[in-house]
Amino acid sequence: MAKVLVVADIKGGALKGSFAELVSTANDLGAEVAAVAVGAGVKALAADLATGTKTQYVADDASLEKLTAAALTAAVVDAATQFGADQVWFASTEAAKAAAPRIAAKLDAACVTDITDVQVDGSQVVILRPAVAGKVVEKVEVKADKVVAIVRAGAFDAKEGLVASENLVELSTPEADLRATIQEILTEAGGAVDLADAKIVVSCGRGAKNEEGVALLKGLAEDLNAGFGASRAMVDSGFMPHDSQVGQTGKVVAPSLYIACGISGAIQHLAGMNGSKVIVAINKDADAPIFDIADYGIVGDLFEIVPIMREEIKKVRS
Amino acid sequence: MNILVTVKNVVDVELNIQVKNGAIVQDGLQYVMNAWDENAVEATVVLKEDQGASTELVCIGDGTATVAIRKAFAMGIEGGLLIEDEAIKNVDSASYAKILQKVYEQGDYDLVITGKQSQDTDSGQTGILLAEFLGLPCVSNVVTIEAIDDKNLKVTRQADGNKEVIALQLPAVITVNDSINEPRLPALRGIMQAKKKKIKNLDLSDLGLSADDMAASKTKVLEYQAPQSRGAGQKFEGDAAEITSQVVNLLATEAKVF
Ligand SMILES: Cc1cc2nc3c(=O)[nH]c(=O)nc-3n(C[C@H](O)[C@H](O)[C@H](O)COP(=O)(O)OP(=O)(O)OC[C@H]3O[C@@H](n4cnc5c(N)ncnc54)[C@H](O)[C@@H]3O)c2cc1C
Ligand SMILES: Nc1ncnc2c1ncn2[C@@H]1O[C@H](COP(=O)(O)O)[C@@H](O)[C@H]1O
Repeated sequence: MAKVLVVADIKGGALKGSFAELVSTANDLGAEVAAVAVGAGVKALAADLATGTKTQYVADDASLEKLTAAALTAAVVDAATQFGADQVWFASTEAAKAAAPRIAAKLDAACVTDITDVQVDGSQVVILRPAVAGKVVEKVEVKADKVVAIVRAGAFDAKEGLVASENLVELSTPEADLRATIQEILTEAGGAVDLADAKIVVSCGRGAKNEEGVALLKGLAEDLNAGFGASRAMVDSGFMPHDSQVGQTGKVVAPSLYIACGISGAIQHLAGMNGSKVIVAINKDADAPIFDIADYGIVGDLFEIVPIMREEIKKVRS
Repeated sequence: MNILVTVKNVVDVELNIQVKNGAIVQDGLQYVMNAWDENAVEATVVLKEDQGASTELVCIGDGTATVAIRKAFAMGIEGGLLIEDEAIKNVDSASYAKILQKVYEQGDYDLVITGKQSQDTDSGQTGILLAEFLGLPCVSNVVTIEAIDDKNLKVTRQADGNKEVIALQLPAVITVNDSINEPRLPALRGIMQAKKKKIKNLDLSDLGLSADDMAASKTKVLEYQAPQSRGAGQKFEGDAAEITSQVVNLLATEAKVF
């Protein structure tokens, strides 16, 4: 039986939705599943971590408030070794991208990023992942005994009915690597709804032009309780925070509904959102490439369309 | 400060890419410098200009990579190594990192700058693995670099919902995000000079590696598949109020998203 260690993604003291998705899928594979959580105060999540897992490894210490890739690596390697993990799974975060290759190197494991599917047949593990900015899908054979994988957002579904069995194992606190120390954390003003967990995402492109346009789209996002994303053009011009960027360099999102407003549909943007269930595009250029993938394309000026859309949504919802 | 910057030659992702019989159709593909490596080259050249750093690039690829290498020269990189070998085929980031490790060990470098990711594989591992293999500290996804002195950098990395300001001791490896800078367009003079520069060619044996080392790659791409195409849906043109109302109603009744 494969042994899968799922690394908990924690934000604001709570487990992200991705944890249940990864744990569910690992259980579906018939694996024995354990969880590992690293950070300050993570022990408080013990009960949540137990859902669908047999063992919960935690490294909880005030010094882990500013969590470096080196410290995350050390704790996960410790947990993986104690558990005897064949596979270590991360949800896709910047922390995961920084730590997964290091963990793989230390465990002498393969590392595969951005995976959308994993098939285990006896000892053979085969993984699917997009590559070339989403223009192809790679079918990858894992030739090592162990693999560290980062799962693409929206690839796995959470299911109900997982059994919890609490078995907490405390890990020792990793020592700091003094050669690379976090001196300061600069927080960015993020949207009210986290993009990764949002069921609906409203995304703002260069067509929004200015603060007025951004405010208009933010209003739409608020009406829908949606995450508020952006194209790189809007991030580069300083209108939107870095953390809101959707795309190949930014975040991958896969909500039920993605509303792209004033976004042309560059391949690097599509790479971050083309897994959304339903895509709506508002663009005044009828030939914009975004229309090639939009389920519902509205050709028009967003400054005109969006206020009407907000009214119409209020109507259908009441 | 001696900097080694990595440059990968990749297929141009803006062009049409097709898959047939489990392979990418090679006909009509064009190759360019990996976009993130343009950022890495720019960051390296800035350190040369501001700190007097010496600069060398390394590219693992084949003859088609010369264009990318010359472009990096034209942007201001001083020296260049091209590692070419028949045995380097269908290998993963770890194998590239193993080669880069040997390059690093043969030289005398204080800093390695790589792109955060290759546009062709979207793997995002090579620089980080290189640091692990060398036992060096690494900061990935870097968006600003400031040299404190010859042995210390202050770098900022884009993290989850925030940026981290990190004090980094050299020698070290950093991988750069594309928001770190705007890569310069090479000036004509630079382009002319770049044509005359020598590229140093090495193969695996020059680095003390063999084909077996490459065969030990921990992952292997079995085949390529075409992604599921979404296809265009309905497009609505005409009176703004009418089409918007139509779409919102379809979202409620057909797509059932509200
Ligand atoms: C290595 C690399 C990585 C990248 N990573 C990312 C990434 O992660 N995410 C990302 O988004 N991009 C990324 N890019 C950039 C990408 O190539 C595009 O430049 C970017 O997505 C364009 O943003 P945009 O669509 O907002 O702007 P534009 O391409 O300028 O499009 C603006 C659109 O708005 C429309 N418009 C204008 N006015 C209106 C109006 N009043 N009403 C309605 N529509 C209007 C126009 O018709 C146009 O289609 C990357 C590029 C590179 C090279
Ligand atoms: N064949 C190569 N030659 C030179 N540099 C490379 C090569 N492969 C990867 N790199 C570097 O490593 C970075 C990350 O690559 P990857 O792990 O493939 O996403 C790239 O941006 C390059 O800077």
